[in-house]
Amino acid sequence: MIDIEKIEKRTVRSFYDDGLLEIALGVFFVFLGGWLFAQAAAPEGSGLGAALSVLFVLVIVSAGVVVGRVVRFLKQRITYPRTGYVAFKKKEPSPKRRAAAALAGGLIGASLAVLYGLSPSARTMLPAVNGLLFAVAMLLMANKVGVLRFHVLAAASAVIGVGLTAAGAGDLKGFGLFFGLFGAAVILSGLAALIVYLKRSPRPADGGQEGPDAH
Amino acid sequence: MPTDLHGLADLDRIIHEPARLALAAILSVVESADFLYLQRETGLTKGNLSSHLAKMEEAGYVAIEKTYRGRIPLTLVRLTDAGASAFKAYRARFKKFLEKT
Repeated sequence: MIDIEKIEKRTVRSFYDDGLLEIALGVFFVFLGGWLFAQAAAPEGSGLGAALSVLFVLVIVSAGVVVGRVVRFLKQRITYPRTGYVAFKKKEPSPKRRAAAALAGGLIGASLAVLYGLSPSARTMLPAVNGLLFAVAMLLMANKVGVLRFHVLAAASAVIGVGLTAAGAGDLKGFGLFFGLFGAAVILSGLAALIVYLKRSPRPADGGQEGPDAH
Repeated sequence: MPTDLHGLADLDRIIHEPARLALAAILSVVESADFLYLQRETGLTKGNLSSHLAKMEEAGYVAIEKTYRGRIPLTLVRLTDAGASAFKAYRARFKKFLEKT
């Protein structure tokens, strides 16, 4: 008997088969890590530090668009000629879900702000807190799409974050280091997936396109 | 038992066929997919896939658009509204049938 849910899940998971999203995201994380590191290294009160700090918001806001375009560009050249073109439905989150996400984000942000305001030394916990938050996000994604290597990335995120805090690399430099190391792990995971994908999916000689003629 | 058989007989025969059911399931979660993608995901031969898609198109369940990507021909397939409703109804009916038996 055909398992419809399994087919639907497998279809959604096929988006991640080529590892291209991870490679693009990983590169962005490494870039973000470098940015934060530069921000931390810039002399306090310097123009460079202020500029990096202001432009940081712009980098975060534009990340989604840039990563999306890079992934689309790479898929057009690598994935679609090998395993075919597919456009997934863009699901708009329901107002209830959007409100819940905003509330969760706001609560996490506010708790961190209060925590750091009360105790500046708590800033050393930044990589650990960030690592654990990323780990939870990766686990949720792994369970949703059923990609096993996302569980490994979740563990890597937690280990890197907690490890940096334990090693005393707290605050902004440690935060930057977290993104750099986690980004490298995400790139490696994406590259491994891409190598397997390329081995398993050679380009069809005839382009692979055909279809019913009666229309 | 006869009631159960009625439930089975009521199932949409276009969608009930395993290959077409797999196609409907794939197309239900995507906006559109090309011929190569559907072939890879279902493991069907080109001839078989063409034949099943033609049957689904005839029933008004899929729309097939033949276009080009650069110079390469591209056959894009998407589930129509009628196809989406039929798939949804099939799932509900089949689930009900399984619960009864």
